[in-house]
Amino acid sequence: MNRAQRRLLVPAAIAASIALALTGCGASNFGGDSGDDGGAEEGPIKIGAVLDITGVGANLGVPEQNTLNMLADQLNADGGIDGREVELIIKDNQSTEDGAAKATTQLIENDDVDLIIGASRTGPSLAMRPLVEAAQMPTISVAANAAIVDGSEWVFKTAQNDLVVLERILDDAESKGYTKLALVRDATGFGEGIGEIITELGSTRGIELTATESFEPSATDFTAQMTNIRAADADAVIIWGITPSAGLAQAAYVQLGVGKPVYQSHGVANDAFFEAAGPAADGVIAPMGRLLVADQLPADDPQKEVIDQFIADYSEAFGSSPSSFAGHAYDAWKIGVAAIEEAGTEPEALRDAILGTTDFVGISGIFTMTPEDHSGLTAEALIMALAGDGRWNLIE
Amino acid sequence: MIDFLQLTVAGLSQGSVYALLAVGLIATYTVRHVVNIAQGDYATLAGLGSISLVSVGLPLPVAILIALVSVTLASVIIERLVISRVKNLTTLVSIILTLGVSTLLQAIMLLIWGAEGRRLQAFPGDDLNLGGVSIRSQELWMLGALVVVGGGVLLFYEKTRWGKALRASAEQPVAARIVGISPAAASIIAFAIAGFVGAAAGVVSSPIYLSIWSGGLLLGLKGFVAAVLGGLVSFRAAIVGALLLGIIESYVAGYVASGWKDAVAFFILIIVLIIRPAGLVLRPNAVRV
Repeated sequence: MNRAQRRLLVPAAIAASIALALTGCGASNFGGDSGDDGGAEEGPIKIGAVLDITGVGANLGVPEQNTLNMLADQLNADGGIDGREVELIIKDNQSTEDGAAKATTQLIENDDVDLIIGASRTGPSLAMRPLVEAAQMPTISVAANAAIVDGSEWVFKTAQNDLVVLERILDDAESKGYTKLALVRDATGFGEGIGEIITELGSTRGIELTATESFEPSATDFTAQMTNIRAADADAVIIWGITPSAGLAQAAYVQLGVGKPVYQSHGVANDAFFEAAGPAADGVIAPMGRLLVADQLPADDPQKEVIDQFIADYSEAFGSSPSSFAGHAYDAWKIGVAAIEEAGTEPEALRDAILGTTDFVGISGIFTMTPEDHSGLTAEALIMALAGDGRWNLIE
Repeated sequence: MIDFLQLTVAGLSQGSVYALLAVGLIATYTVRHVVNIAQGDYATLAGLGSISLVSVGLPLPVAILIALVSVTLASVIIERLVISRVKNLTTLVSIILTLGVSTLLQAIMLLIWGAEGRRLQAFPGDDLNLGGVSIRSQELWMLGALVVVGGGVLLFYEKTRWGKALRASAEQPVAARIVGISPAAASIIAFAIAGFVGAAAGVVSSPIYLSIWSGGLLLGLKGFVAAVLGGLVSFRAAIVGALLLGIIESYVAGYVASGWKDAVAFFILIIVLIIRPAGLVLRPNAVRV
């Protein structure tokens, strides 16, 4: 290597490391005192968050990050919790399982947090579960799959369970007389086991699953899957994924002229779905929380006030409307903060306080946690929405 | 049968994007022996750039034109600022340098456009349905871009004096300089071509596949696999290889499992490098590599 090359390699290396730092962890550590353990009574209360801010889950993680930052600012402006400042430490897991595990370990070992929120998707949340269980760290996930909290002692979650979402879809399918369904699902944790649940729930409703295809959340071309679905014998199709992939799958579905009705999951409850699917979104039915149809809710809806306030705050802060995922983060934060206000930061007391959450009116539903149900939502939390004219419309 | 044809159409249109990227990779490799890791990032940069230009109210053709020119210029700037500064540039050094460039471009895109994928509006045209095989008009645009842009580059290199001079300066730099071909100009032209074809691949594919800051690396790698099929010097072989790669990926996704799709390219790469490291088409030693 000659001198010129060596001269260049240094700036190149610096450029590369700057770039890595930029794309890497969006960690925001404000320093501050760290207590002896999670139950420190002095210094700020620390809440950590592990979110899918970059990578395939960015459509979920970015609004969640916005929401947590906004709520932390609001809380501190109001004097924090019992006069103690709340420090929010957000880490980007880059939508990967190992990124989530690494970030969780850092939050527990280095940042000494009192509560963890996250992750945005099922896969990373499942990767965090054994770590937070072992460390006895109260954790509130904002992802969907019931496996995140099944039999868990320390993990809670605020997104509606996939089980209740599928119940709503199958009820609707049954009422319309569909007997054969085809499934195109996300190949990661969010879509894991969905086929089995449909088969099980369908057996009592006379509905059978005739074809299953899967896709990576990073996929952009869905011709192969949709070609196979077109060849399958089904009355309707369930596309189960998150944006943008579920939206691109929807576009491919319509362009290939499959022509059967489509159900999607609550993983598309944001405007990004319409950006990815384009006009192909029209006619899609999806169960979701009330946030995206707030303007169409009856005035006596118990959640309306909370949702309207959140939409107003979020829109003012970020210039765009919040998605359902922002709502999941809102619920996790509010439930967590209420529990800290009630019980302090001693891990077991804090966990019991979260477990004691009863009739909490949030964005995604009205939460009542029990030892058996760490997600706290029933099918009541969901409405059925119909996509049309670039937005979600309430159909019930 | 319809399914088979449907998968073939999808494979051809995706393959045409790989082919454009392969053409860009070969353009710089034949002239400077540079393997440009940032080639795929040119595509995402052009896609995101044109999306922003459309969103501020420019008509689609104007937005695309500005994106093509800007990315071409960016590629030339990268050549001037990074590549041209290195004497005795080896392929390995070029890979390390352009990896840095790629990472930097991705970081810039992440900061400007955010982490979420965006879609460019579809080009004008109606979708076709030929006997049950659905062909999206955008797929015809992708194939058309390969024919016009890829074919244009091919003709330029093989038929014109300038193109021949570019190849000459790669094969015999000293002799080329003696007969009046400037290596610096040759290098600039090669990078301009690489930027242009990469940008073209990005804008035609964005309406179907979205543009996202991190998307370039995988695209560039697929283009690289196609280019390797052409021994990194034959445009024709690389284009054929890219189309084949697209079709095989599509069949694998349709008939085997969609999860295997991205693995196909790397499986092919390994096989080719073991069995025919000089590429599938070339006579050994036809061109010094």
